[in-house]
Amino acid sequence: MTSAVMIPRHGGTGGRTAVAARARQVVKAYGSGETRVVALDSVDVDVARGRFTAIMGPSGSGKSTLMHCLAGLDTVTSGHIYLDDTEITGLKDKKLTQLRRDRIGFIFQAFNLLPTLNALENITLPMDIAGRKPDRAWLERVVETVGLTGRLKHRPTQLSGGQQQRVAVARALAARPEIIFGDEPTGNLDSRAGAEVLGFLRRSVDELGQTIVMVTHDPVAASYADRVLYLADGRIVDEMYQPTAEQVLDRMKDFDARGRTS
Amino acid sequence: MTVLKTSMRNFVAHKGRMALSAVAVLLSVAFVCGTLVFTDTMNTTFDKLFQATASDVQVSAKSASDTGETTSRTGKPPVLPASVVGKVRGAQGVRSAEGTVFSTSVTVVDADKDKLSPSSGGPTIVGSWNGNDARTMEIASGTAPKGPGQVMVDADTADRHQLKRGDEIGLITAVGTHHARVSGIAAFKVTNPGAAIFYLDTRTAQQTLVGRTGVYTNVNVTAAKGVSDEQLKKNVVAVLGHDYKVQTAKEVADANQKQLQSFLDVMKYAMLGFAGIAFLVGIFLIVNTFSMLVAQRTREIGLLRAIGSSRKQVNRSVLVEALLLGVAGSVLGVGAGVGLAIGLMKLMGQMDMKLSTDDLTVAWTTPALGLLLGVVVTVLAAYLPARRAGKVSPMAALRDAGAPADARAGAVRAVLGLLLTAAGGWSLYAAATAEKAKTGSGWLGLGVLLTLIGFVVVGPLLAGALVRVLGAVLLRVFGPVGRMAERNALRNPRRTGATGAALMIGLALVACLSVVGSSMVASATDQLDKTVGTDFIVQEDNGQVITKQAVQAVKDTPGLARVTEYKLLDATLTTPDGRTVPKETINAADPTYAQDVRTKTVAGSLADAYRPDSMSVFEGFAKEHGIKLGSTVAVRFEDGGTAKLTVRAITSDEAVVDKGAMYASIATVAKYVPADRMPLDDLLFATAKEGQEKAAYQALKSALHEFPQYTVRDQTDYKQELKDQIGQLLNMIYGLLALAIIVAVLGVVNTLALSVVERTREIGLMRAIGLSRRQLRRMIRLESVVIAVFGALLGLGLGMGWGATAQKLLALEGLKVLDIPWPTITGVFIGSAFVGLFAALVPAFRAARMNVLRAIATD
Repeated sequence: MTSAVMIPRHGGTGGRTAVAARARQVVKAYGSGETRVVALDSVDVDVARGRFTAIMGPSGSGKSTLMHCLAGLDTVTSGHIYLDDTEITGLKDKKLTQLRRDRIGFIFQAFNLLPTLNALENITLPMDIAGRKPDRAWLERVVETVGLTGRLKHRPTQLSGGQQQRVAVARALAARPEIIFGDEPTGNLDSRAGAEVLGFLRRSVDELGQTIVMVTHDPVAASYADRVLYLADGRIVDEMYQPTAEQVLDRMKDFDARGRTS
Repeated sequence: MTVLKTSMRNFVAHKGRMALSAVAVLLSVAFVCGTLVFTDTMNTTFDKLFQATASDVQVSAKSASDTGETTSRTGKPPVLPASVVGKVRGAQGVRSAEGTVFSTSVTVVDADKDKLSPSSGGPTIVGSWNGNDARTMEIASGTAPKGPGQVMVDADTADRHQLKRGDEIGLITAVGTHHARVSGIAAFKVTNPGAAIFYLDTRTAQQTLVGRTGVYTNVNVTAAKGVSDEQLKKNVVAVLGHDYKVQTAKEVADANQKQLQSFLDVMKYAMLGFAGIAFLVGIFLIVNTFSMLVAQRTREIGLLRAIGSSRKQVNRSVLVEALLLGVAGSVLGVGAGVGLAIGLMKLMGQMDMKLSTDDLTVAWTTPALGLLLGVVVTVLAAYLPARRAGKVSPMAALRDAGAPADARAGAVRAVLGLLLTAAGGWSLYAAATAEKAKTGSGWLGLGVLLTLIGFVVVGPLLAGALVRVLGAVLLRVFGPVGRMAERNALRNPRRTGATGAALMIGLALVACLSVVGSSMVASATDQLDKTVGTDFIVQEDNGQVITKQAVQAVKDTPGLARVTEYKLLDATLTTPDGRTVPKETINAADPTYAQDVRTKTVAGSLADAYRPDSMSVFEGFAKEHGIKLGSTVAVRFEDGGTAKLTVRAITSDEAVVDKGAMYASIATVAKYVPADRMPLDDLLFATAKEGQEKAAYQALKSALHEFPQYTVRDQTDYKQELKDQIGQLLNMIYGLLALAIIVAVLGVVNTLALSVVERTREIGLMRAIGLSRRQLRRMIRLESVVIAVFGALLGLGLGMGWGATAQKLLALEGLKVLDIPWPTITGVFIGSAFVGLFAALVPAFRAARMNVLRAIATD
């Protein structure tokens, strides 16, 4: 079959270490026989280190599934996924949990924080769970970067939606993970709060050298990324570097039209 | 209609979440129904037996009991002369009259001197094989007894002890020991619940049981055709006069039934009381369940309100769910109750008490009561959560539900709870310092009730404080997982409070009773140490008297310095204030008793009470009747004349042993009671010669080998026996309280399980950011342990307070020593932590198994 195999072009750094995560021939299918639904169809992808990658696509294109698989939250039907040099496909739950705890950061669309913990406790939670001491200086820098100084003792219910997402960003950054995955992190925010959060993500890539993968359907959000991957029907169908919101929107309209004519 | 439909759908959709509430209702209802079915079945069984065994009319001696039971303190049954039979035959309407001899003051042993008595505590009956019994029994094998060498045994006893024809058995009576071989085995046509019955021929029975022929204990009279039992009774009374007791079959059966009833009622109401406690605990569980269901459904309810449902409709929809739960739980409970009753009957079978499932009695009131109780309690418990559901604003539909807002325990609650607790504490203080036991017990009851309600009301506030302390002490060790567990337990103090309170109730009772029980043992031991000056006590453990042969055997034992006989006599007293007090008991003993048991007196010395024509009375009696030293009391003995005795000692009421006894010497009593009517000894006190205690103890034991019904104990054994007895009683009560505790543990499981469902997204999030399954399970277990330990702390604290108050109050009655059984208390405390671990097993397992992605995506 003619799967859309991508030969990813290298980012600025080049070489193996430039790739933070890789997917090779990843298939994710649900059900079997007549009712089999393929969410990911032999996907190959490289996530560049120190870059901000956005994954776009219409509903049901498989973009969230791809992210979940890359992050070790979901299992694949076949294929291989590597985080740096570690193959994570086939790992047992215990190892996967450790991996998520120590090497991956998450920002979800909503409900990112534990209501019983205050902002600071939420930020340091992954390290607490791991039994590691947070790096004070780094923590301060992160907190400052996302502008939460002075709100650290607040409980999530005492924070606005934007502030809550900033806490989530800080949590993802604080443990210095190799890679941060965002699942529509601004999906629930108004445009101003969203822009703020995206700005922090951008800064963390530029200033802290963080690797970020973000799933979104918002062209404006995608325009903050270095590179945009387009998914349709479980395949990567296109990509774009240094996008602007207009370009992304045009490209999506283009797919939409093609999808309708085909 | 729609309301009903939503209720039904909700009920079905959330049946998993209601499962544990249903189990709680089921257990409580099952216990109630089981108790009723079991006692009703016992009633039926005995009723059938009494109906079957009574003859139309029965004649017995005036002093015989109404139930026809033939025991007396002389060890020999009350008899009537053989001539009565002839007279009765002469009465009108008599078809037949037969004299029989029966006694229950008998010990039967096999060739190895092992007792053949039922271990159920049922009676051992020895009597003459007669026409009336032949009606209700059939000889299964062998022949009826003939001559002094033969005895017939009932089939159940034969089964139990593997008795065959030709086996030798010994019948030990006040007359002596009679040996005979089994000639036959007779089976009852109705269920014989537990009596061991041995038949001799009439002459042998007379000689063995009474010591002479020509006397009977009963005359069984059957009516001629067309003569009613009442008429027959009148005719018999017409010829006999009023010198004998004449009863119809119905009167005998009724008297038996009445005696049984009083025993069964005690059992029934005790068990129903424990079922009530279980219901009370179950209420907490149901309230929690519905509170959580309503909280989880807030948005849904808001939507219903937004599209036009009235408060009342929402309220009612929750109550209808409760109704469905109550009905489901109760129906299952009724079924389980019948099962429980059958189980109990089987258990009784293990303890030599035979009950047949043929007699299983389920009165229509049993399921009706079970259903009513289950449904009413469930609906009442759901009332508050339902009201809260009605108060949900339509705006709730629009709000992002998120985590349910933590319910802040209100100031009203705090004030009310503290007021109640304070009032309760004051009542307890009043009880502890009461001058009179009667007023004190009222205060105690009030105090217990108020402190219990107070603790339940302030429970959520206490939960906040205590969980923090526990967190600081216990959970810090577990780092962030411990901290999250603490926060989770604190998240909804009302829920934690209610869950802990449910456990508190059962454990408070355990703690209170253990304190009282152990104080009883300690006080009695203390008093024994202070008062007992003798080495050994001989007694029959079922309260029967000691035969003269056994007394002689004890007296002949080498190495003893003295033996004190001790017997009880019924008497009617006429006091100096001119009042007559019937049914009093005189404790007659040898004068050496004053040395054996140093009884504290408030006036005079007990030794003087043993002088000729002297006696002692107890403090309360003396006060009530204005008796002083030197007063004269007229004592009319039941089986003898009237004595005018001078009071020479007044004993203190601060006693645990022999409280309220009135003493006189046997020599004094013997002047007024004829020798053949003189009761046998109840107790023997034996004192060894100086330095020969060990040898004397062994010698006594071997002297009593021939009389396996009597036990000799030295002081250590006696104390141990006392301890064992109280321990057994406590264990029984703990066993019954276990039901309430099980329901409370279900409550902990329920709270955790529902919390896990409620926190699905949180759990998903934590798992996503790296919380391992093991850590997640530990977090839930720790939360569970914290709740359980919180309940235990409250319960044990409250219970020890109650127990200590009760002891202070009972100190007036001689319970001088407060003994807190720390091993039990610590055991319960540590046990509760394990209970917490156990309760978290399933919820933790389920939480750990959750799919991370699905959990995050949950609404």
